[in-house]
Amino acid sequence: MPRVTVQVRDAAGNTATATADYSLSQPVLGGYYLSGGADPTADMAGGNFRSLTQYRSFADGYTFPGYNRPWLVNLGKAGVQMNMVLELKHYGAPDTGPQTFTVDGTSYTVPAPSMTIQQRPGTTWPKAYGYTQVLNGQCDGLFHRALAQYRTLGFAANIQLASEFDTDHEFGTTEAGKAYTWAESDARALQAVNYILTWFKSRTMPAGTTFSIGLGGFDRACFQRTHPEWLMPRLDFLQWNVYATNANDTALSRFRRTKDWAVADLGPVALSRPVIIAEWGVRSAEIPNQAAWIATVPAAVAQLNAERGPRIVRTNYFNSGWGTLSPKPAGLAALRTAYATRPYV
Amino acid sequence: MAAPTATAALSASVYAPGDQMLLTVTYSDADTKPLTVTIVVSDAQGNSSAPVRVTAIIDPLAVTVTDNSGRIWTRVSDNGAVAVYRAVA
Repeated sequence: MPRVTVQVRDAAGNTATATADYSLSQPVLGGYYLSGGADPTADMAGGNFRSLTQYRSFADGYTFPGYNRPWLVNLGKAGVQMNMVLELKHYGAPDTGPQTFTVDGTSYTVPAPSMTIQQRPGTTWPKAYGYTQVLNGQCDGLFHRALAQYRTLGFAANIQLASEFDTDHEFGTTEAGKAYTWAESDARALQAVNYILTWFKSRTMPAGTTFSIGLGGFDRACFQRTHPEWLMPRLDFLQWNVYATNANDTALSRFRRTKDWAVADLGPVALSRPVIIAEWGVRSAEIPNQAAWIATVPAAVAQLNAERGPRIVRTNYFNSGWGTLSPKPAGLAALRTAYATRPYV
Repeated sequence: MAAPTATAALSASVYAPGDQMLLTVTYSDADTKPLTVTIVVSDAQGNSSAPVRVTAIIDPLAVTVTDNSGRIWTRVSDNGAVAVYRAVA
């Protein structure tokens, strides 16, 4: 650790010495996600992209690296830090029935998912493996299958459990015919997360494997509920997502919102964890000049990291949905320029 | 002679590369005193010169700053009790 030493000396040669230690942070990792989990290699080539977010359902038989995704292995071996979002949510294809499969010689039959999440009125509610199903061990096969594939990758990843628990629970959940409120769903999810963490951590994983849980970060009470100090020692990162969807949104205000809540509400273990921004984006409908907004992000992240509280260490641009870069060439060029700027270098 | 005292405080504990780093050194020594000598020359007729003042410091202190990472610290200010140094992370 670097140390600065001060010596004060008087005329007779008497001295006093004082020291102060400091450390230097690594550059923030600029990252990316391309719509549909598509191959981002071409977009990232030549730019300072060092981090990537990917989404997989535990229901998927091809969790790692993913179906027809050999490029993920190439990027990972090239040192791109992977944030693998693994979800109990079923993506709905090809079916949501029970599955029977064999992993490392063990045969499993996993029942159909019994929970609905994201119960926004007027929409079709997605299915997910239920938190009770997890606690009953009925999803162990899914975890084993994912782990067996993970071991073949040749590099370690951060495993983010769920994409956004707040989005999943905002309108309550239902498992096996029983309805749960938002807060009840959060509490149940934490028990399931704890079970999954125990399941993985008691088995051999690639060295350097880390864990986090996923939150959009738009609801202060939910963010606090889902980051209890009893769980945080088992998690390596805080995580939230950042979107600009209003013409008045500044990068500083958007990146700072959830951080400020965390600093005010969370305990010391939680605040000792660095932050992964698994998704950030600028919605072109309200902010047509995406490139100009993107250009303000490095300074905002640098400022936040100079303030008290957890440091933001990875920011992955979400080139999909709200964050879709339009026109793409200008947006991508802005992203490349931003990631070539302090604190990304 | 009394021994001097010193404290050192950095503006942060963690710096990102390129950040400005500020070091505040607070120092003193009980023997260190500013002194002003005022001289007036008078002759036998009672004429006096205008007073001339010179200042001196008894037991002045020297402050040195070193960094084991080789970083160069530049003095920004020093009033005799508090000195501020700057470096780049």
